[in-house]
Amino acid sequence: MIEIAEKEISLDRMIQRARRNEAGAVVSFLGTVRDDGIEGMEVEAFRDAALSELEAIRLEAMSRFSLTAAEVSHRTGSLAVGESIVAIVCSAAHREEAFSGCRYILEQLKSRAPLWKKEISADGGGRWVEGHGR
Amino acid sequence: MKIKVLAFAAFGEILGRQREVELKGDASVRELLETLASIVPGFREAAFEPTGILRDYVLLMVNRKRIDPERDLSRILAEGDELAIFPPLAGG
Repeated sequence: MIEIAEKEISLDRMIQRARRNEAGAVVSFLGTVRDDGIEGMEVEAFRDAALSELEAIRLEAMSRFSLTAAEVSHRTGSLAVGESIVAIVCSAAHREEAFSGCRYILEQLKSRAPLWKKEISADGGGRWVEGHGR
Repeated sequence: MKIKVLAFAAFGEILGRQREVELKGDASVRELLETLASIVPGFREAAFEPTGILRDYVLLMVNRKRIDPERDLSRILAEGDELAIFPPLAGG
C-alpha cells in the first residue's frame, strides 16, 4: 500500500499489513527530520504523480526481490524535528531480499518521486533542500 | 487554448501552485514558458540562464510524463494539457 498524507505515519500498522505466513523477514526503514540547526520541515508533493511513481517502484521491488509485501508511506505538510518523513516496510521469505527491497524503494523514491522538502529555520525563514533527478 | 500549469517547491512560490494560461493558436512548451516569464515577475530569472537557455534544474512534465528540456521544448501543446514545473526531487 502507498500513502502520501499529512497525518502521522504508523510504522506498527504498516508492519502488520506487511506480515505474511510465508515471510521470515520484515525490514523497516524510517526517515526522520534531523536537527541540523533547523526548527522543522515542510514537505510538498505532486500527489497524483508521486502516488503512481511510488506504486511503480513498489511493483518493481516486489518482482526484483521476490517480496511478499511492500508498504510505503510519505508525509506532507509541516513536520517538527524528530518526526517521521518516510517509512518503508518490506517482507520476504529471507532477510537479504527484504533488506534489498527496502533499500531499492528508498533510493528510487529519492530520485523518481516528485516530492520536495523545505528546511524551516528558527527565524521562520526557509531553504528548499537541494534535490536529485535532473 | 487553455493550459493548466502546476508548479512545485521554489517554482510554486514564484508561479503559484496552480494557474491557467491562455495561449493563442498552436503553442509549444517553450512558448508557454516564455509567456509565463513575461507575465510572472521573477520566473524568467529563476527558470532561464541570461543566455535564454532553460536552467538545468528546471524539470518538466506534460500530462504527468517527464519531458526532456533539451529535446522536447518544441512539443506542441493541446487544449487542456497540463504542464508541471519543478526543481530536482528531494523526497525521503
